[in-house]
Amino acid sequence: MSAAPTITLIDYDAGNLASLEGALDRLGLVHRRAATPEQAAPTGPIVLPGVGHFDAAQRSLAERGWWRALPELVAEGRPLLGICLGLQLLAEGSEEAPRAAGLGLIPGIVRRLGPGVKVPHMGWSQVRQHMAHPALPDPKGAWLYFVHSYALEPSTESVYLADHGRPFAAIEARGMVMGFQPHPEKSGRPGLLLLQSALTWMGARTPVPEEPCN
Amino acid sequence: MPAKRVIPCLDVKQGRVVKGVQFKGLRDIGHPVELARRYDAESADELVFLDISASLEARGTRESWVRDVAHELSIPFTVGGGVSKVEDARSLLRAGADKVAVNSAASLRPALVTELADAFGRQCVVAAVDVKRDPELGWRVYLKGGTEPTARSARDWLWELNELGAGEILLTSMDRDGTGDGFDLPLLDWASELPIPLIASGGAGREVHFLEALEHGADAVLAATLFHENLLPIPRLKAYLAEHDLSIRI
Repeated sequence: MSAAPTITLIDYDAGNLASLEGALDRLGLVHRRAATPEQAAPTGPIVLPGVGHFDAAQRSLAERGWWRALPELVAEGRPLLGICLGLQLLAEGSEEAPRAAGLGLIPGIVRRLGPGVKVPHMGWSQVRQHMAHPALPDPKGAWLYFVHSYALEPSTESVYLADHGRPFAAIEARGMVMGFQPHPEKSGRPGLLLLQSALTWMGARTPVPEEPCN
Repeated sequence: MPAKRVIPCLDVKQGRVVKGVQFKGLRDIGHPVELARRYDAESADELVFLDISASLEARGTRESWVRDVAHELSIPFTVGGGVSKVEDARSLLRAGADKVAVNSAASLRPALVTELADAFGRQCVVAAVDVKRDPELGWRVYLKGGTEPTARSARDWLWELNELGAGEILLTSMDRDGTGDGFDLPLLDWASELPIPLIASGGAGREVHFLEALEHGADAVLAATLFHENLLPIPRLKAYLAEHDLSIRI
């Protein structure tokens, strides 16, 4: 097998890695877990999953050295994909933890959903294109799976938007930093294709069998 | 508003999906992964696995099938059965479950719901509640599959669960469960006033029953036998619901 860049999955007790690994396996993408930055693959995209509380996740990332390492890795050009709470942690801050700052890799503030709608926003919602992106096609009303109580405010650069009481950023991107509010690993085939598009754009490749030696 | 969800419920015993046969016994209907793949392909929106294994040892094996299901499934799933402490939930979530369902343990020790919500976020916490109509309380909460009455009024308990931190309510009418006569619609009318999502369970027999439950405020509908026996294929049900102008993921 030729060396394909390995996707690094940040393992910090706040993500559903089993499902994500299953999705990457089905896509044929090589991945590894990394509890600390030292365990990260030398190249290739880094994925920051996340469920739970903003401040607990922030603390956990800090304890493992990721909080300091991620901005440095991004500054060096490493692609970074945040999923669900992972996206929210990339922002400047969240109403969920007013005293904790976000990573600030994506501008904007994460605000609580509602009032007037059921929170958490849990289930399948349609997304729509807001700004064109080289890697992500027009979703044409695709249904994706969401579970969250807070959401990033839309910006002029949001790639996809979704609605729950008000519009929010479903996918936000700044260069090689991208965040998904929905769970692509839980969103059936459309989710898998999105994950594939984003990670391939970030440099992930399916390993190619080497030519046999003659 | 997210799409209304259609959720098959699978009972698991000692790592196998089983189906009760009129109180006489259980029939093995497959491995959780096989059923999970089938329902994923049939466009189920989510799955609920209830582990009915009686012994702790048997429950110990479930991390293994939960991990396998998480690896194969591209839709979310909930696992419940005997979750009585934060560590039980942690092992299921670590194995790949998206949510855990609590029932009796929450009724016996309501703080459990808050502990789970604090540890994992309330979106991970499904409170399963079994109720029967009651002359005194309107609807009364029951434990142990409807065999053990509690002193709780369903209405008070649901609101309390919301306050405690439940992210979703899985509400089963034990009066209707297994009858095929339709959901308990007056129950759904008031329960859907809760600010958290409501999964209606118990009584589905025909397509129109699901439509009624969703029109009476349920956010999701759950059934077992109808789907397992393919008496009502999920794609047909979803097409029917979409034709009736409900927001459905097709």
